[in-house]
Amino acid sequence: MTDLISDMVPLDSTASESPEGGYWYRMSRDGQKLGRWFVAPTVLLLLFIVVFPLLMQLYLSLTWWTPLDGTRWYKAYESFNFADNYWRLVTDRDLWAALLRTGAVIAVAVPLQFGLGLGLAYLFIDDFPGRKIFYSIILTPMMIVPAVVGLIFFLLFQGTGPVNGTLGLPANFSWLTSVDRAMLSVIIADTWQWTPLMFLILLAGMLGVPSDQLLAARLLGGSNWQNFCRIILPRMKPVIIIALVLRTVECFKIFDLTFIMTKGGPGVATETISLFLYKKTFADLDWAYVAAVGLTILFALSLLAAGGLAYMAKKKG
Amino acid sequence: MSSIQIQDVTKSFGDFKAVSNLCLDIAEGEFVALLGPSGCGKTTTMNMIAGLEDPSEGSILFNGQDLSSTRIQDRNIGFVFQNYAIFTHLTVFKNLAYGLAVRHLPKQDIERRVKAMADRMGLSHRLDQKASSLSVNEMQKLAIGRSAIVEPRIFLLDEPLSNLDAAFRAYMRAELKVLQREFGQTMIYVTHDQIEAMSLADKIAIIDRGKLMQYGAPLEVYNNPTNRFVANFVGSPRMNLVDGEVKNTGGSMKLVIETGLEIPLSGRVGADIASHRSTQRMSLGIRPQDIYLGDLHHTDDIPLSGLVEEVERIGPKRLAYITAKGTRFLAVDERDYMTPGSEVEFFLAAEKCMAFDGATGERMGGRVQ
Repeated sequence: MTDLISDMVPLDSTASESPEGGYWYRMSRDGQKLGRWFVAPTVLLLLFIVVFPLLMQLYLSLTWWTPLDGTRWYKAYESFNFADNYWRLVTDRDLWAALLRTGAVIAVAVPLQFGLGLGLAYLFIDDFPGRKIFYSIILTPMMIVPAVVGLIFFLLFQGTGPVNGTLGLPANFSWLTSVDRAMLSVIIADTWQWTPLMFLILLAGMLGVPSDQLLAARLLGGSNWQNFCRIILPRMKPVIIIALVLRTVECFKIFDLTFIMTKGGPGVATETISLFLYKKTFADLDWAYVAAVGLTILFALSLLAAGGLAYMAKKKG
Repeated sequence: MSSIQIQDVTKSFGDFKAVSNLCLDIAEGEFVALLGPSGCGKTTTMNMIAGLEDPSEGSILFNGQDLSSTRIQDRNIGFVFQNYAIFTHLTVFKNLAYGLAVRHLPKQDIERRVKAMADRMGLSHRLDQKASSLSVNEMQKLAIGRSAIVEPRIFLLDEPLSNLDAAFRAYMRAELKVLQREFGQTMIYVTHDQIEAMSLADKIAIIDRGKLMQYGAPLEVYNNPTNRFVANFVGSPRMNLVDGEVKNTGGSMKLVIETGLEIPLSGRVGADIASHRSTQRMSLGIRPQDIYLGDLHHTDDIPLSGLVEEVERIGPKRLAYITAKGTRFLAVDERDYMTPGSEVEFFLAAEKCMAFDGATGERMGGRVQ
C-alpha cells in the first residue's frame, strides 16, 4: 500500500524511475492524455456554439450574400467583395447617426443611473425602519421583462395617459411622437428599470467599506461629505468600474424599450444601433452588412470591457 | 485636554442594561483604565464617552460641558480602535494627515506636523508607502499618531495592545505611558487585562455586569478591594477565596467550610467579622504571597496544614498548590521549601486576611494597612 502511494505521488525521482514501479505514475501521466479525449467532445460543442457563428459572420461580412440570392450561405464566396462592407460601414451616415444616438443614451442614462444608484445606496448604509421592504421595492423594476417595461411606459407616456394627467399637461402634449422628447422618454424608462442594478452593485461595494474606518474618519473630524469622498468612493473604485462598464455595454444594446415605445421613431429620432441593425436585417435583408457592423461593434465593446478589467487588474496588482 | 464627569449614566439595550448608574470623575491629564471581563460594559462606556452611543440616562460632561448635542466629527475625541481602523487605501502620510486635511489646514502646516508625528512614532521611512503594507506593530503606532496629531481633548484606547505579540506589547505598554506624559492628555484605556491596567493607569475603574465595582489607584484597588469581585479579579496570581459559614463555639470564631476544613478566625479579620454581626456565610480572602511557611510570624496568624499537590515555577519564585481537607490554597514558595506530595504546616497572615459578606460580596470591616 505504501508502495502504491509513493508511486502515485512521486516524491523523489527514484520513485518514478524504479523499474517495476511507476505504474500509477505512468497511468496518471497517460491518464491526463486520456482525460483530454474525454473532454474533447464538450469542448468541440462549445467551440461550435461560440466560435462557429462568429466565423460564419466574419465570412458573410466579406461578401454581398443575402438570402434573396437563393444560394446556400456557404456559397457566399461567389460574391466575395473583400472589405467593401467595412468600407461602407465607415461611410454610412445612417449608421453613424444611430451610433451617435446610442452614445447620447449612454452619456445621459449611465451617469444619471449612477448618480441615483449611488445616492440610494448611501441612504441604505445605515439601518432604518422598513429598510428591507424598501430594498425589495427598489429592486422590483429590474426583475420585470424589458418588453413589459416598454409597454408600461408606452402607456404612461400616451397623450391622454397618466404622465400628462399628473403634470397637468394637455392631451396633445406628446412624448413618444415628439422628436425632442421621444429619446428622453426612453431614457426615463431605462433609468427606471436599471437604476436598481446600479443601486444593488454600488450598495454591495459601499457595505464592503469597513465601518470602523468610517467611524475613525468621523472621529478624526471629517464631515460626512469629506469621508464619502476620501474614504468611501476611493475604496469603491473597482465596484464603480464594474457598474459603469456593465451599464454602458447594456445601454449599447438597448432594444426592447425603443422597439416597443417608439419603434425608433418619430422618423429615426430614437433609432439606436440595435434597432438600426434590426431594420437592416429584417426590412432590408442586408445580412452581410449587418454581419460586418455587428462584428465591429463586438470588437469595440470587447476593447472597452478589456480596458476596464485591465485597469482593475492593475489596481489589484 | 479636558476632565470628564460621568454622572449616573445608564445604557440599556431593550431589557438588557449594559451599564447601570455609572459615576466616574476623571481629572484633566489623568490616565484611567476601564477594567473588567468581556461583556462587562466597558466598551459601551467608552463608546458613550466618544459619542458613538447615547446614554439612556445620565450625562457625560467634558470640562463641565455636555457634548451630547455635538456631532461626533466636532467633538474632537481621539479614538484608537482595537483593530486600528487604518485607512489601508491611503499612504501612511495621508493617514496621519487625515484629521488635519479635513480641517482645511494650510499644506505646509500639515506637512510639518505629519513629519513631526512620523518622527515621533518612528514611521518617517514609511510615509510614502501604502498603509496596508505596514506590520501590525507599525499600524498600532500609526493609529495612535493619527489620533494624536489633531490634539484631541481626550484620548480613548480600546484594547489597543490585544493584537500585538508579547514582546512588542511590553514595549508598547512602556511607550504608551511615555506618550501619555508627553501629550499630557486625558486618556481612557479599555482592557480586560489587569496587568496592563495596573502598570499603565493612574486610576482603575473595575466594572462588572455594567456596574462600577471600585475606582481607585492601582495599589489602592489591589490592597483594599471593596468587594469580592475586585479581590478576585485584580492580582496575579489570584487571591485565595474560601467560602464558608461563620460558627461561634465557646467564644472562639471559626469559618467552617463544606469540605470539613475549619479555619479559626482570630486577630483583625476576626474583629472585622464580629463587627458585622448579621453575617453567617462569608468568603475569606488571602493573597498567595500572604501565606507563609516555617515559623510563626505573629501570634494572631492562622495555622493550617495540608498536602502540597504541585509546585509551579514562575520566574524566580514558585507557586505551590496546597490542599487542606479538600480546600485548595495557592501559596508563594519563596525559598524552594516545598516538594510535591509532602505535608506542610502553613500560616495565613491574619493582618492580611480579608472578609467578604457571603450574600452581597461587600468587604467587611476596615482596610488592610
